[in-house]
Amino acid sequence: MTTKSLGGALALSLLAATAFTSVASADTLTMWVRASGTNAATNLVNLWNASHPDKIELTTIPDNQMVTKLATGVQAKDVPDLVSFDLIYMPDFMKAGFLTDLTAALKADPNYASVAKAYQDIATYDGKIYGAGFTPDVSILIWNKDLFKKAGLDPEKGPTSIGEIHDDAKKIRALGGDTYGFYFSGSCPGCNIFTGSPLMVAAGSKMLPANGKDEALTGDGVKAVLDAYKAMWTEGLVPKSAQADNGSDFVSQFKSGKIGIQGAGGFVIADFKKDVPNMNFGITFLPGMKDGQTSAFVGGDVVAVPVGSKHVDLAKAFISWELTDEAQIEGLAKNNILPSRPSLADNKYFKAEPKLITTAKALGVGYVPWVFHFNEMVNSDSSPWINMLQRAVFDGDVDGAIKEAREKMKAIAGE
Amino acid sequence: MNGVQARRRRRGWLYIAPALLFVLLVVIVPFGQLIALSFSNQSLLGGGHFVGFDNYVKIWNDSAFWRALGFTLKYTLLLTPILMGLGYALALLTVDNTPLKKATRTIVFLPVVIGLGSSSLLWIWLFNEQVGLLNKALVDLHIIDAPIVWFISADVAFWAVAISVTWKVVGFGTVLFVAGIQSINSEILEAAVIDGAGYWARVWRIILPLTRRVLLLTTLISVIGSLLALDQFYIMTAGGPRGQTFTAVYWIYQNSFVAFKLGYGAALSVVLTAIIMALSALQIALSNRGKAE
Amino acid sequence: MSAAAIPAPAAARPARALSPTAYLVGAICVAVSALMAAPLVLSFLASIKTTADASAVPPSYLPQALSGESYMKVVNFQAGLATYVGNSALVAGITIVACLLLAAPAGYGLARFQFRGKEIAFLLLLAPIMIPYQALLTPLYLDFAKLGLANSHFGLALVHTVLQLPFSIYLMRSAFEAVPKEIEEAASMDGCSSWQSLLRVFLPLTFPGLVTVGLFAFINSWNEFLGALIFMNHETDFTVPIMIVSVRTGHLGAVDWGALQASVVISIVPCLAVYLLLQRYYISGLLAGAVK
Repeated sequence: MTTKSLGGALALSLLAATAFTSVASADTLTMWVRASGTNAATNLVNLWNASHPDKIELTTIPDNQMVTKLATGVQAKDVPDLVSFDLIYMPDFMKAGFLTDLTAALKADPNYASVAKAYQDIATYDGKIYGAGFTPDVSILIWNKDLFKKAGLDPEKGPTSIGEIHDDAKKIRALGGDTYGFYFSGSCPGCNIFTGSPLMVAAGSKMLPANGKDEALTGDGVKAVLDAYKAMWTEGLVPKSAQADNGSDFVSQFKSGKIGIQGAGGFVIADFKKDVPNMNFGITFLPGMKDGQTSAFVGGDVVAVPVGSKHVDLAKAFISWELTDEAQIEGLAKNNILPSRPSLADNKYFKAEPKLITTAKALGVGYVPWVFHFNEMVNSDSSPWINMLQRAVFDGDVDGAIKEAREKMKAIAGE
Repeated sequence: MNGVQARRRRRGWLYIAPALLFVLLVVIVPFGQLIALSFSNQSLLGGGHFVGFDNYVKIWNDSAFWRALGFTLKYTLLLTPILMGLGYALALLTVDNTPLKKATRTIVFLPVVIGLGSSSLLWIWLFNEQVGLLNKALVDLHIIDAPIVWFISADVAFWAVAISVTWKVVGFGTVLFVAGIQSINSEILEAAVIDGAGYWARVWRIILPLTRRVLLLTTLISVIGSLLALDQFYIMTAGGPRGQTFTAVYWIYQNSFVAFKLGYGAALSVVLTAIIMALSALQIALSNRGKAE
Repeated sequence: MSAAAIPAPAAARPARALSPTAYLVGAICVAVSALMAAPLVLSFLASIKTTADASAVPPSYLPQALSGESYMKVVNFQAGLATYVGNSALVAGITIVACLLLAAPAGYGLARFQFRGKEIAFLLLLAPIMIPYQALLTPLYLDFAKLGLANSHFGLALVHTVLQLPFSIYLMRSAFEAVPKEIEEAASMDGCSSWQSLLRVFLPLTFPGLVTVGLFAFINSWNEFLGALIFMNHETDFTVPIMIVSVRTGHLGAVDWGALQASVVISIVPCLAVYLLLQRYYISGLLAGAVK
């Protein structure tokens, strides 16, 4: 006999009692969301719950357990009705047949057609659509305007090339003390694919192989960026502590006003407003080698319907709803979150905060890698990606690092 | 064999039957499934087929696993004497039931009740060179000039983890040893004092030998725990730098849940379990032989 | 069983004057206590800072301004602290009961009966601690799902029980072994069956051992994370450790240090309370338990 918690029993009896008095049949949908996407998702879910009889119940899953939970859930036939997760898992999930085919519902939806191309790409497999952009985030470059002014740089003009980042960082480091020119989390694979790879892509490289025959880390961009990072490291423009930072201090030093320039995500806008409202900072696209080359990593969560969901139609309705103007503007934009439809970037809430408009535009110039085993290739603590970064920047062997990473990534892609 | 003895023997089995059945169902059965899984190349995301002994052959050639295992053994060999030695020393220190010593015992035991995940993060916070207070304290006390970055060198990272784990678990051994020492018949010790034996002589010749059993039990538990270490490295070093601090279980985790290779991870688990059982049997045999002398 | 103190130098003697050695020992005790308590004290101080202050670079020992921000974050997270605590307490409670029900008879059987294969059975009962339990969780979850035990606190408690069982059985076995044979013989001469002996004679005598088993079952169940996450699918069923991980996680691995400290303090308090309450049983429990 299974014993549910007392709370569960109480809730059940309450539900039974109210069932006789409630309208029609109000269903409850379950939805899983990863921990770092919870705040954003809650906005949309609350908005839906306020205006719909069928309520959505959110369950927060720690980020790096989401795949395991979904996988075991599908196998045990116990899945939520909706799931919001890091979009880089889409290819693996689609291939494994975990997600419900939404093509019919979404292809006909004009709102879906105006979703950022990166989100459409990542949610398509074999011509079928399995999900939609949900709570987007995108990477951008931020700079400390006060430090720029102090260093004699134009505080309103952010760097527009990797070379300029290097030069500006040098000038800021010259201010001395514990002020540094540049920052990156040296032991955080995710942080660097998010903020470092767009520099490489902007400079003309293609990053990850889609299968065993595809090439990895093509072009000159990878070497150019790694050379720049290595130079900034050896010249002492980056704090020593960055080497061991696994992401836990991703923006801590910038927030303390000690860093001139670094890559970050759109989430900092709301974050800084809350924690350091007096911080004077600028936002621009992540640049390549030459002026005019820009890119971004299009990230955040997608929403999908797991196979085995017990409320498929309602779930589809939710997804259609979250793509509407109302949901995107009142649910996301109002809370400083990017809408997944770039056409809505010029909304009334963003007008008050121009940084958000820039960030929303970054969605349009950004890329997202469509690969299997992204976790193993990039995010894992033993991934070829982080090994390459650390070998190139901290050990100084840029060419060897790139060569090794290319081979390992191809091997993983061929699995 | 008379009826009474036979009945008693059956009774004995009856009493241990529920626990035995429970372990069989909740551990042995899934372990059997794990073994079955190890003969396939099943992915975490489903699918896969029978591959015979392929996984085990792969393990033989998996240098990363053996490196992780070697690191785990080094960790165990270095940490166990520290934990046992410090634990026993603290036990000797606080064995009297004076208020001060009882309070010390409580405070030493306190970290044991925290989860290992929380404790690891607590120490990562302390060691963090950006927001951590340990570095600040060391600098303020003029012990060092500049904050140490604790996790960029594998050796320093190792000792950082060792410090945090020692803090967390030394109390467990201490309390066990205190109980052991307190149960020694006071007459034996008083006789030794009368015979003129000094404090350390009493410790060496009487207390240590008479607490042998609890020492061996605690060491065994500690060794097995260290061989299965995961959380503290997962949280504090992320296996770094450059994968030098992966433990055996961490490597299994990477294979099963990050690279999705469930079948291969299962084979690694089986191999690791076999190694641990062998080491434990060895430890028990050595301690039994010692006892017989 | 005489709980004797070692005749320590002077300090335990009735004489009022303390020798220099006693002062030294006392000083060492204080130093050890300070060192061991320091991380927890610092953690508490950080938990009452504002969020920004808790992540400040460089850090400060004392809060610039007192703030309950971090605690509010933890208390109000998702389903609310009360729900998580209730779930954890429920699972821990079932675990304690199951451990006692299984370990006491098993320890009794191992300690007071002779039968062939006893030591092998004992090793089998100890085997669970040698297996990396993370590897067992996935097959176990799928098995439980087929039996309808997935998603239930009872199922999770069964997993916690089996993790605690080896240590519990060892403790109970030692506790039962410590009871003098004469007492058992007297009971059987009075006509008690083995079961009656267990209930009326042995259990009261090994009560401290039972309390120790209960305490460790509570602590380990309360802090267990991975099994709880894998076996539960609804936020309202989650336990405290899961909440702790989620509340501190930020983007790309960023950690909300203030929330971390607050959640550490919150999760320690119940365990500390249980430990202090049971302290006198606990110490003498281990005494009868692991010593012989």
